[in-house]
Order: sequence, then C-alpha cells, then structure tokens
Amino acid sequence: MLQEFRVSFFLAYEYLTRGNKGISLFTIFLLTLVFLQLVFFSAILGGVTEKFDSQIIDYQTGNIIIEPKENEEYIEDYDGLLRKINAYPEVIGITARTKGAGKIEYEDREVGATILGIDPDDETTVTKIDSAIVEGDFISKLDRGEIIMGRELSGGYGALMETRSLGGLEVGDTVTMTIGPAQKDFRVKGIYTTFFFLSDSSAYINKADMDEMLGIENRAHEINIKLEPGVDEEEFRTTLQGTGINEKIMVWTEFTGIIEMITSTLSKIRDILNIIGLLVTFVIIFVVIYVNIINRRKQIGVQKAIGIDRNVIIGSFVLQAAFYAFCDIMAGFILMQYGITPATKAHPLWFPVGFVTLQVSNNEALFRGLLLFSAAIIASFIPTRRLVDKDLLELIWGG
Amino acid sequence: MIRTTDLTKTYLMGKVEVPALKEVNISIRKGEFVAIMGPSGSGKSTLLRIMGLLDNPTAGTVELDGMDVLKLSDREKVKIRLTELGYVFQEYALLPELSGLKNVYLLLLMMGKTKKESIKEATDILVKVGLGDRIHHMPHEMSGGEQQRVAVARALVADPKIIFADEPCANLDTGSSGQILELFKKLNRELDQTIVMVTHEEWHTKYVDRVIKLKDGLIEKEY
Repeated sequence: MLQEFRVSFFLAYEYLTRGNKGISLFTIFLLTLVFLQLVFFSAILGGVTEKFDSQIIDYQTGNIIIEPKENEEYIEDYDGLLRKINAYPEVIGITARTKGAGKIEYEDREVGATILGIDPDDETTVTKIDSAIVEGDFISKLDRGEIIMGRELSGGYGALMETRSLGGLEVGDTVTMTIGPAQKDFRVKGIYTTFFFLSDSSAYINKADMDEMLGIENRAHEINIKLEPGVDEEEFRTTLQGTGINEKIMVWTEFTGIIEMITSTLSKIRDILNIIGLLVTFVIIFVVIYVNIINRRKQIGVQKAIGIDRNVIIGSFVLQAAFYAFCDIMAGFILMQYGITPATKAHPLWFPVGFVTLQVSNNEALFRGLLLFSAAIIASFIPTRRLVDKDLLELIWGG
Repeated sequence: MIRTTDLTKTYLMGKVEVPALKEVNISIRKGEFVAIMGPSGSGKSTLLRIMGLLDNPTAGTVELDGMDVLKLSDREKVKIRLTELGYVFQEYALLPELSGLKNVYLLLLMMGKTKKESIKEATDILVKVGLGDRIHHMPHEMSGGEQQRVAVARALVADPKIIFADEPCANLDTGSSGQILELFKKLNRELDQTIVMVTHEEWHTKYVDRVIKLKDGLIEKEY
C-alpha cells in the first residue's frame, strides 16, 4: 500500500512539475473561481442576514429587552432597575422607553405609527438612531415638543412606502400627534433613515412628552440593554433572571417577527445555492479532470501494459486533483480573507437593507474547502477508474 | 520457455466474425531471438500481444515456463507483465513527463526497490544501451532511435524472461533501426535474453535466430 502510494506520488509529482504548466495554472485558476463562487454568494447572503440582525439590535431593540411583569402594563420605578443592571460590566448601554400607538397628522394627511418616548442621552448608548439622521438633528434631553421621524413616516429620502407617508414634510414643519385622548403639536427636529422599513416607520419624542401624553410618571414600557460585543445574550439573560428581576427578560431574537421569516428564507436560499454550487463545482472539476485524463489515455494504457498497478495509476491522478484542490482552496481563501472581504469592509456593498459586508467565518470557509476537496477527489477518482478499467489495447491503440 | 497451443483469436466486426489467428501452435526456447513476420492482417501483432498478456485469445493456451498464464487474474497478469515480461512498442510509448532515467526506474520503484537502488540499476541499464550521457533528457529532447533505446532499457530493467517487441523499428530510419537490432542481438547473445519481435522488414531477419511467418492467421513457414 505504502509502496503503491510512493509510486503514485512519484508519478503525480512528475506530471505536475514536468507537465504543461499552462494547463495546471488554468485548472487551479478555474477551481479557485469555483471555490470563490461557493463561498462568495454564501458570504453575501450571510452579510445580508447579519445586516438584518444588526438593524434590529442597532436601531430597534438593543441586545436584551425587559418588559413589564405578566398582566402589568408598565415597569414601575424603573430607575432602580436601570442602576442595578447598569452595574454589570457586560452592559455598555441601557435606556427606558415608553411606547404608544398613535396618529400623526400633517396638513391633510395622517399616518398611524409607533411612537417611542426616549431619554435621548440614554437612547444613544443603546441604539444608533442619532447617527441615522439625514436632515436636522437628533432630539436632546431638554427638547420638549420636538419629534424625529423615520423616512417612511416623513416621506422623501427614498421611502419605500411613500404613498402611506406624510408626503415629504421637512425639518421645522409642525405635526399633530394623537395618542389615545391626548393630542399635542410637535415640531419636526430631524428625519432619519436606517434603510430598514421597520425602523424607519417609527417616531421618537422625549420621554417627558410621552409620559405627559400618557399621564404617567416614573414608568416605562420597556428597558433596552446594549451588551459588550461577544457577550452571550442567553447567558446574560440567565444572569439577570438569577438576580430576582421579576419582569420579562427577553433577547432581541424574540422580536424578529417578519425579519426572522426573511432571514430564515435567506438561510434556506443559501442552503439551496450551496447545494447547487456544490453540484456545479463537482461537474466543473469532473470535466476539467476528465479532459486532463482523457488526453493521457494512451499513457495510462502504456502504464498498464508495462505492469503499473491500476491503483497506482488512479492514485497518481487523484493526487494531482488533490493538489489542484489544495492550491485553489488556499488561493481562494487568501483572496477572500485578504482581498475581497477587506475590500467590502472598506467599500461595503449597497443593498436596499443598507451597506453590507461579506460575512464568512474561517470555519465556514474551511467547511466549504473540505467539500470542494472531497468533490475533487471523487471527481478525479470516477473518470480515472473508468478509464483505467478500459481494455488495454483500446487505451493504447484506440482499437 | 513460452508455448502456445491452438491459439485462436476471432474479432467481431459488427455481426461478421473475422479470424485473426487460427489454432496457432508455437514454442520459443530460452535465449532465442525470434522474428514473427507476415503481411498486414496476418495476425503477427495479435499473436505477440496475446503471448505478452496484453490481449486475450478466443481459444487456446499460453504457457510461460509451464504455467498457463491465461488462467491468472488481471492483477496477477499485471505482476507478470511487470516482473517477467518486457515490452518495446513501435511508437516508443515513453511517458513524456518523465526523463529517460525516470521512465526506466519507474518499473523498479513499482517493484518495491528503493529510489537509490532504482536510480543505480536504471542508470546501469541505460549505459548498457548506449545512453549514458542522455539519461536526464526528456523524451522530446531525444531522437527516435534514442527514445527506442530508452524503451529497450525499460523493457530490460526488470530482468524479464522475455522481451516482446512490436515492430520496434517501424518509426526509425535504416541507421537507427540497425542500431536497435544490433542492441537486441547483443542483449540476446551476451545476456541470453529471449526476444520475440514482430517485423515486416526482410533484412531484419539476419539478426534473429528463427523466423515464424504467418499468413491469414496460420503459420505459413518457419526457418
């Protein structure tokens, strides 16, 4: 066995070093492209999925959300809870919000919207709405009677549902907001867009204004927590649950709703594309290697004639395919890791959901590399074995 | 050394049976240099290939040192071809990516010899066939005669019982052909090497001990 491998290795080495370099380079180039397409689409879909997730965390919920106890409408005396949770080193931001479903009117148009009452200073420690302002400014702690709204409410700025918006109002305009029986005029201080229609369909006012309209004090509908990157959200939830907090503690993934449907759809598409990609890969490798082998049918016949074992001949071609696969995986990985991914980080790709960077983990790349390597082995083994088992005279003399 | 009994080979061309060999009985002794001759289609190459275990007959037997080699499994035949038989083909049949030396020592590697032993023995045999200064050249850097000598060295290197040569001079000019035949004669004389050669050139017969003439798949005469 070892002796057969030694001869296979010898033949493979000689073919690769003495054979046509152009064909070898072309094969490696082709297979590198195959590897890239196998990883690239998956990485783009991974990036889009990641973008959806980060949109929720960064512009809506933070990592952890605390809601009132069962059968209660508000979290009472939330200040104490904020201080208690903020003491954890994993927490980098925390904010309390009141929420209301309301109606916003401007001239002859009106829209229904979720309106959030926030502490602007605390809010910026959890979400990035302040950095998504495209016109005007974010509200400040002392602002009263001012509102910022997403583009889906204001209209303009590329809103997706323009006809259901307020029709392109501008900063400085005044809108009338109604929540339950309360009604109040607000001056538009800023318009924001996160490029994500769910986030862009909200409006933010100062929590003091909202509390006044709702007639409440020192109460909140939810507390949102931003964690240090890398902290396990489930573990942190368990930690909080262990400290005697009786409110409902939830992780952002429980708020994904339609997004979960979109991301799981993307995930399914990704799986299907992976299978198709792998099949295409297999066929390409099969064709490339088969063409290479078929050109050597006479040599294979001669080797059989002079007493070279069939396993040795098959092994020599499988080793060549393994070498090609190894080279293209390495080349593809280096290109991906040090070329394409950094390039998309520096210049993210624009998608309707926002700017997207490629998301591919080393493990995933390694897994796809292994799939491609296995495909190369099988795709070289099958045609070589078929050819080697052909009649010797047919191989040498084509008769 | 090698004996065929009622060796018959019939090719099927569509629905038509074309006989290539008809119950051929020949016997070749150790140390003989035998030429198989005959016109095209007489069955000479078919006979050589069956004796060399490269093809199977329709009927009959081939005995090598008393052993019916046609009853062996494919794997056993491969081993016999590697260790007991040597081949020289008309079109040299060297592996183009391997130098002259490597074309020869490939067989020794396959036989389980170390690289060092293989290189030494292959070099010795290449020197013996007159290619001592060309061993590292690639086949495409050699003349037809030189390539055929490499093929002869490859056929010889495993110290085979018989060398089968299928029109080894067909692609060579007269000068190179003469050198190859001289080489065969020398190997036959000095090493007592058994050689069976197919040829259609009458002047080649002066190098051989015996001529078997075939016609229409039958032995026409021996001399």
